[in-house]
Amino acid sequence: MHSILQWIAAFYESTVFVYGSVLLVIYALLALLSYMAIRVFLQKETYTDYSDLLSSDLAPGISVLAPAYNEGLSIIMNVQSLLTLNYPVFEIILVNDGSTDNSMEQLIKEFELVRVDFAYNPKIRTKPINNIYRSTNTAFSKLTVIDKVNGKSKADAVNAGINVASFDYFVCTDVDCILDKDALLKLIKPVMDEQSKRVIATGATLRIANSCVIDKGVIIQMKPPRNLIARFQEMEYVRAFILGKMGWSFINCVPNVSGGLGLFDKEIAIKAGGYDPLSFGEDMELMVRMCRYACDNQIKYAIRYIPTTLCWTEGPANIKVLKAQRTRWARGLAQLMYAHFKMCFNPRYGRMGMITFPYNFFFELLAPLIELSGILYYIFLIVTGGVNYQYAILLLLFVYSYSIMITTIAILWDQIAFRHYKSWKEVLFLCSTALFEFVLYHPLVVIFSLRGYYYFLTGKKHSWGNMQRQGFAQVKQ
Amino acid sequence: MNRILVIDDDEIIQNVLEKVLTKEGHHVEIAKNGKEGLQKLDLMPYEIVITDLMMPYANGFEIISKLKQHPNTEKASIIVISSITQEDSVMDSFKLGVDEYIRKPMMVGELLLRVNKLLANRSKYA
Amino acid sequence: MPDILPVNETGEGFTIPYFDQWMAMPVIIRVAVVFIGISTIFILYIQFRIWFTRYKGYLLNKRVEKVVPVIDALIAEEIFMKSETGQKGAPHINFDAFRIPLFANHKNKQILIDRLINYRRSFSGSIGNHFKQLYLELGLDKLSTKKMNRRSWNMKVRGIRELTGMDVSISDVNILPLTNSKRHELRTEARNAYIKLSKNEPFKFFDISSEPLLDWDQIELFKTITTTENIAIPNFARWVTYSNNKSIISFCLKLIVHYNQQDAAPAVIKLLETKDHILRAEAINCLGKLKYEPAEAQLRHIYSNQPLNCQLEILKAIGRMSTGESAQFLRQEFMYSTDFDIRKNAAMSFVRNASPEYIDELMEASNDENKLILKHSMNPLIKY
Repeated sequence: MHSILQWIAAFYESTVFVYGSVLLVIYALLALLSYMAIRVFLQKETYTDYSDLLSSDLAPGISVLAPAYNEGLSIIMNVQSLLTLNYPVFEIILVNDGSTDNSMEQLIKEFELVRVDFAYNPKIRTKPINNIYRSTNTAFSKLTVIDKVNGKSKADAVNAGINVASFDYFVCTDVDCILDKDALLKLIKPVMDEQSKRVIATGATLRIANSCVIDKGVIIQMKPPRNLIARFQEMEYVRAFILGKMGWSFINCVPNVSGGLGLFDKEIAIKAGGYDPLSFGEDMELMVRMCRYACDNQIKYAIRYIPTTLCWTEGPANIKVLKAQRTRWARGLAQLMYAHFKMCFNPRYGRMGMITFPYNFFFELLAPLIELSGILYYIFLIVTGGVNYQYAILLLLFVYSYSIMITTIAILWDQIAFRHYKSWKEVLFLCSTALFEFVLYHPLVVIFSLRGYYYFLTGKKHSWGNMQRQGFAQVKQ
Repeated sequence: MNRILVIDDDEIIQNVLEKVLTKEGHHVEIAKNGKEGLQKLDLMPYEIVITDLMMPYANGFEIISKLKQHPNTEKASIIVISSITQEDSVMDSFKLGVDEYIRKPMMVGELLLRVNKLLANRSKYA
Repeated sequence: MPDILPVNETGEGFTIPYFDQWMAMPVIIRVAVVFIGISTIFILYIQFRIWFTRYKGYLLNKRVEKVVPVIDALIAEEIFMKSETGQKGAPHINFDAFRIPLFANHKNKQILIDRLINYRRSFSGSIGNHFKQLYLELGLDKLSTKKMNRRSWNMKVRGIRELTGMDVSISDVNILPLTNSKRHELRTEARNAYIKLSKNEPFKFFDISSEPLLDWDQIELFKTITTTENIAIPNFARWVTYSNNKSIISFCLKLIVHYNQQDAAPAVIKLLETKDHILRAEAINCLGKLKYEPAEAQLRHIYSNQPLNCQLEILKAIGRMSTGESAQFLRQEFMYSTDFDIRKNAAMSFVRNASPEYIDELMEASNDENKLILKHSMNPLIKY
């Protein structure tokens, strides 16, 4: 009996050891791949003239979809800001998802909207549409507003937008996100630049807007958030986008195009069935289904990321909102893995099946569970007196320094490419946040993820992932 | 002295138009973006407004429609300078009551001739 | 991020001296210790690199801030104030004003080149020409040519970009070898330059190019072709008929539309027989945009054998031609098709082809959904 226990302990230890080592190696690889991807991108950027596209008759049209639920505080400004995007042919489709505030009245008044008899064709099933509005003022001829019955999810709102969209590509964003004015030009470029594959989605870096200097929906100056929780997220975003997504993009294994800003191939998105209103991670879920559809139909596809920051979003600034957000994300991930588990290690699904899916399963989904088990095991060892504290501390230090190194590398890549922020001190300020991540932020994220898994298993009710916003309208200086 | 308002976010265009139009004997106001453009409307009445279509804060179409409502510019002639050649944008501009649509890269001589023509027309029918 | 690794190696604690202690550690722990050292040093090094990168950027910024206003002032003074007064004739531009010590510096020269290209992008005509003259007078073209001769393809592309940006001709000897480069980017750029600057046969590559023209290449090429002054535009029907390269054919269709080459239409009609339905749809689109009415009957004729995308294009094309001849056909499609998009496009084209009475009549005969589609099509506020 005793030896079996010992054997189990030994097995557990070596599994965790292998698991940890693989993770470390993956991060090192990602750092390398992302560097190469960013280098290629920057090289191209030195001789890419986006104004060629801006002035071209051949530019493909893009529909920008912005779902909104009770965003009355800033909705007018946000739409105005979307209308200033630099692109020759685009439309803005604002989906008012049954807001209970006065969003709709404000929109009608400000943009001189009238109801139109719009032939609505639901290619994707959604909650019913009340009305579709267009402006009587030619100045707003790019704007279409959909007023629909609340579908209790962003997914349902975006689907309604896809049904109305007239162009072959759509950009999905949140109405509260601030976009770079060249976002459309830069997102469509990878689609037009691909030789043999069909680019079904492109994404770009997202950043936290909390402390940025913003004036009427325009970022005047980027600053790392003063609020510690938000700053952790800024750091996390730099790492996830600059290092993670760029690295994956280099080997065409991008797992997900973020819901904050992404460009999609409309045909494939519709054929894949659109966003799933029951999903908690609808952006990643759609991406998986689009890849699945492409593989099933022998379409050679690619998903691309660019390192340029094109979108700023308000990050949760307190633990309560962060908890809600991360619980939701974790739940979405669990849901997704459960629903599409057949794809895992299925060679039929190419890189998605052999690399992206297993990675997400082992190192995203299982990570919090393994950490939890590790901590429990540790406590057990402490109780039974089986810990060599000297070695334990050394190993801990090793992981600690390694994680800081990876984060700092990500920040360096970002700095090499874009020199964001005003001064070196601000960068240092952001880097210093990495020192506390291990003890303060990471445990929180793990706990929230576990909470999400718990809700997944017990099946709690679904609602719009709307967080309490402070609103950029007040942030302006 | 004719008053001309130039709204464009391109620094080069701002500088050049300011110099060239001033030299022609006009009073020139420069606005660096849509927001500034709308603010400068309150300063004085203008005979001519030259505007870009894509700028931060407010796009050109919105500005043009506001120009048409503002007492200082409702009678002003409007010239659009834009690198956009797509039919939709050109049509929308004219629907909104723009007088001239000049594509970038532009000829400065052409711009000056059109400005003079518009001014001459104004005085003829004034 | 790496997780808290609850790895635990049991081992006996040693007390003295350090070396023995080191040797007694399990390999894993030793590796870990080494890595702690490496990571720490690396983190410090990265911090230095971040600082260094920022500092370099800061210096460049300062330089630009210092040099650009000087350039702007000189250009305003020498080029805009002296030349553009409305009178004709070549004005005298004092290029010596630009021969100041500031521009002796290599980096400042680069800033000058970039700025000139920017100006050139905004201004054409005689003023645009002055920028070119200035660029040549100051010998800046030599710098760009030097870039072209550098080994890295990246630099070569930049060199070519600068020269073509200023409309300076590159000798065929220099550019031709690059048009066959293995690097896609370089090849595209070289061909672009060749089209823009070659006096002989700028469209030669349409004949020989076998690999696909990417959408982005098409954007750049289109821009080059449509904005280059004094370029002899050929009849693009030639490639529509003879090229084996689908992307070249597709690109030529767009050029035919841009230049409204009506005499190319017969070649485009021939293309309707192609097996590639995407290309066929593009050909139909082209005929519609040309408003080439003689093709209308044929489009109606082939309609029933076409896949959906071609059918939609045919409906749109007939709408664009708006001769009124196909009103009956469109009505038929609108009434009896089961596909929503077909009905919508048929309706859109029908309202452009039929008399108001005919539209009223159809409205009467339609069910609710079709009524809505018709109303949608007639609403001037709805664009698509």
